[in-house]
Amino acid sequence: MAKVFVIDYKGCVGCHDCQVGCKDEHCGNEWLPYAAEQPVSGQFWCKLNQYERGARPHVIVTYLPVLCNHCDDAPCIKAAPDAVYKREDGLVVIDPVKAKGNKKIVESCPYHVIYWNEELQLAQKCTGCAHLLDGDHPISTPRCVDNCHVDLIKFGEEADFDLSDCEVLHPEYGTKPRVYYKGGLPKKFVAGTIYDPEAKEVRIGAKATLSGEAGTYTATTDGWGDFWLRDLPDADFTLTIEADGKSKQLAVSTKSADVGLGDIAL
Amino acid sequence: MGDKDVRTVVRGVAMGGTGGDPVAIDSKDGKIVRIRPLHWDMNYTPEELEDSFWEYDFQGKKLKTSMKATPTYFALAYKNRVYSKNRVKYPLQRVDWEPGGDPAKTNPQNRGISKFKRISWDEALDIIESELKRVTETYGPYAILCIGEDGHRESKDLHSGGGMHMTLLKELGGYTREVRTPDSVEGWYWGAKHVWGAGSNFGLGLAAPPETGYCSWNVPLDICENTELIAFHAGDIELTQNYAGQGLSRLIKYWEELGKEFVIVDPFCNYTAVCHPTMKWVPILPNTDVALDFALMYVWITEGLYDKDYVQTHTVGFDKLTAYVLGEEDGQPKTPEWAAPICGVPEWTIKALARKWGTMRTALVHFSSGHVKGPYSHEPGRTAAYKMAMQGLGKPGVNQMYITNSEMAKPTAAKTTTFPITMCNRSSMFVTVPQQVPRTMVAKVINEGTAKWWGSPSIIKASREDQFTEYNYPLPADQGGTEVHLLWSEKPCNMGCWNGGFNYQDAIRSPKVEFFLTNHQWLENDSLFCDMILPVTTVMEERDDVGGSQVTQVKYACLNERACDPVGESKSDYEIALEIGKRFGVDQNISKGMTEDQWFEAAFNMFPISQEVSFDKLKERTYYVPKLDPDWRDIPRGMQNFYEDPESFPLDTPSGKIEFWSQALADNFPDDQERQPMARWFIGGSSEDGWMHDETPYGEKAKEYPLLLCSTAGRFRTHVQGDDMIWFREIETVKVKGWDGYDYEPVWLAPEDAEARGIQNGDIVKVFNDQGIILCGARISVRTIPGSVNIAKGSRVDPIAPHIDRGGSSNLISPPRYISKHCAGFAVTNYLVECAKLEKAEYDQWKQQYPDAWARDYDPAIGSNYASWVEGE
Repeated sequence: MAKVFVIDYKGCVGCHDCQVGCKDEHCGNEWLPYAAEQPVSGQFWCKLNQYERGARPHVIVTYLPVLCNHCDDAPCIKAAPDAVYKREDGLVVIDPVKAKGNKKIVESCPYHVIYWNEELQLAQKCTGCAHLLDGDHPISTPRCVDNCHVDLIKFGEEADFDLSDCEVLHPEYGTKPRVYYKGGLPKKFVAGTIYDPEAKEVRIGAKATLSGEAGTYTATTDGWGDFWLRDLPDADFTLTIEADGKSKQLAVSTKSADVGLGDIAL
Repeated sequence: MGDKDVRTVVRGVAMGGTGGDPVAIDSKDGKIVRIRPLHWDMNYTPEELEDSFWEYDFQGKKLKTSMKATPTYFALAYKNRVYSKNRVKYPLQRVDWEPGGDPAKTNPQNRGISKFKRISWDEALDIIESELKRVTETYGPYAILCIGEDGHRESKDLHSGGGMHMTLLKELGGYTREVRTPDSVEGWYWGAKHVWGAGSNFGLGLAAPPETGYCSWNVPLDICENTELIAFHAGDIELTQNYAGQGLSRLIKYWEELGKEFVIVDPFCNYTAVCHPTMKWVPILPNTDVALDFALMYVWITEGLYDKDYVQTHTVGFDKLTAYVLGEEDGQPKTPEWAAPICGVPEWTIKALARKWGTMRTALVHFSSGHVKGPYSHEPGRTAAYKMAMQGLGKPGVNQMYITNSEMAKPTAAKTTTFPITMCNRSSMFVTVPQQVPRTMVAKVINEGTAKWWGSPSIIKASREDQFTEYNYPLPADQGGTEVHLLWSEKPCNMGCWNGGFNYQDAIRSPKVEFFLTNHQWLENDSLFCDMILPVTTVMEERDDVGGSQVTQVKYACLNERACDPVGESKSDYEIALEIGKRFGVDQNISKGMTEDQWFEAAFNMFPISQEVSFDKLKERTYYVPKLDPDWRDIPRGMQNFYEDPESFPLDTPSGKIEFWSQALADNFPDDQERQPMARWFIGGSSEDGWMHDETPYGEKAKEYPLLLCSTAGRFRTHVQGDDMIWFREIETVKVKGWDGYDYEPVWLAPEDAEARGIQNGDIVKVFNDQGIILCGARISVRTIPGSVNIAKGSRVDPIAPHIDRGGSSNLISPPRYISKHCAGFAVTNYLVECAKLEKAEYDQWKQQYPDAWARDYDPAIGSNYASWVEGE
């Protein structure tokens, strides 16, 4: 039966347990016939990407674990059908013996999650810890899953998950990934603090409306005078802020980045 | 395809304190295969664990002890430490040092410059024996300074260092003790202690009830049930918890589920703030928290947003506070308008914070760090206590949560909130001896020969009154007093952690220091400046009984075998003390003739846990989680008793109440302009005018050094531990690769400050002040407030020349001074610096001038390492 990774990255706290667990399992340990040793540094079979977003004081960091997508239509298998294979459980594995010397495997991956081991002359990547799944080891789950202290990386039967609110990385590549991101991939935000410049007070309950061709989004300021418009598409908008009969309009764009507007006088 | 030869050892691994959340270490043929979180049901059934695991149930939402433990990521990456290319495998001696005390042969000026050579254990022990004898005979036993009382090392029990040299030297006539100052809690210790008494662990200065032996239980429970707003005032839990575990991430998520609100007041958008989107970050300029706090109090007083009845019945001196806040005393009302330009926080945000805090049940949650470790930290320590007092400290939902009261539930067998379930430690780290020196004054006593201070200043077991006691170094000669000439450190990281690192390096290079010996696992920091290094085993290489009792999801006992073979010829600090003890025929006095197993069993049987489970069962299962007190939920929460009945449950202040104004301070230090009887906002000034510090944007010093350096713990180091961990160094925020291929420690700069200095992302940057220059790599970020730069403390030193360092150890340029005149604690964050791009011409000039520094081996993965400093194999 085919398995999937489901990653609830929105709750990630940035600890890198997953990245470290992968290294602990594979650096200095050889798991033949699944994988040769990973070099002690420089390869990231599981990598926690981080994105610093917004502007002071509306700043967040999004952490996104990225690993081999174990694609159903995997370009690496096409590049080296004799050396890369798909298991019944859906995992894509590079045979560390048969793949020797074949750098095309690295180049084939549009996600850039296959690494070249110069010393071993070998393409290497996440195996889904297939050796743990198959063998009689103290644990039988992938290390990134076991290490995560907030249990955000799940691995299991596809049928056991509700994938309706999930997205995959770059579906346009058409490779049919088996790594799903719960709640969808990161979307843009627009945030700001609205204050009354006469009274020198934040405006609580002020209305912030984004409108444009991509749609209309509204939020109300909280006790800090803050509004957060989240999960926005990449687009140009007009931001209208309104309170106590006053209003102001600003042009904002989420096309290249999130927007932190800081303090806005109204 | 499994491997039957793999064996699994369970133990707590922590970077300090008293054990951590447990890991399961799988090993084969004496080598570690993997380190992973323990699944508690490995050796027990879930039913067996039921009475040991807590469960919180509020608003129909549950939080339970997780069956999978939540060890720190340091533990999970510990192979990096055990098999580090920087491990000290053999005894090492500095190549141009010879025993005997002759400066022509000790070459003290070359400490931190000359390299080391391998010697045998026999040679090392011969030298140590002869030097101990020579120094004792020449100057007396107190000429030996024992450094190391600390929680900033690996967490061990029987094999623990930090005081084994003291245990040995006690048998040989004595020693001088270097007293660890209250590093994690300085502001609470020197400030809040005069407001609400001795506090946690009888001395930390964090609110704790005297009637329970200063144990503050059930505060997490109280917060879950009653708190509406959680104020993380410079407390970065996601980061700081990692010295021992990560279970608090789950608690924060639970708080989010329960709909708590959060505010983080910090110059840096810290690691807790950035990953929890519900948190409000209020950026503030370092060292201005006191002004903010007074402005909050101004709003509360003028708008009636405080607990007037509580202030009447539970406090003294509120009239004086009111007079000061309203400006009746000095003509300056402490309004939000007044505070805003000082703090860099908009006036409207100050008011919003005041109203939220004043109308919602607010808990103060922090985990060390931040403004309580800077100059004059007693002031924010006290204003934080004033805020809690005005809002009714001890009222449901209004408590202080901190490292030593973060326990989720009380087991019957727990003696205190922090004490291990069982312990047989032989180290004498907390034992008071006749001649002592505060750690902050070691450089001073070497340089000047004398020192005077007030307060012991031991981190625990230190009363409020003790701070009025004058101490002197050295003792009078007729009491054995002498200056120190032999330094022996079982925790060689003073220059990376305590005040004025460059100043400390200068002191170590004094000819007065005839022999500097360290015991350490890694070749780093103070060890680079010593004359001999003894190789020490890591926690993985020792049989010990280390479970966990602080910052762990549950407290537990453990009895662990070695997880792997010792690396090189390393021995534990306990074994080293025995080896040296043999030379003097006192080893049996240390070991009492007992084996490891006899120690573990004897200790176990002295603790309440032995009423619950047998030692044999612990031995069989290797770990044990004690049963919870069946009535744990009913134990008063935090300061609840004091809140409900202050007459029956008084504080240990002179009045028994919370003191906004301390008559004791007024009586003992009537002329102290820095720590006055009541906290005040001031900026300090020059030493000629009697000030210890001038470290704000508003004094003279800021004209030359305009940026306030914020230097709190690193996300992927614990103090100075772990800078060699390869798997962390390659995380993009941990180091900045310079154009020369060297991994520099990041200096986080606001875009505005970088632009004003022509600094680009990735540039090599000089960070400097009157203490010297450290090199860093620019990381331009919206996470820091303009006017402040951030460098995580604890990068390893990598000396280029005296007062110039490439490693980016921020502490080297921290002020060598103390908190204030009567407070000999440290000020290791929030001090002034300037930053400038290191131009190629100056770089090349240094390279030419100091070729040895550039010639040392550099490994791109680990940086400076054993091969950088040891000649030959």
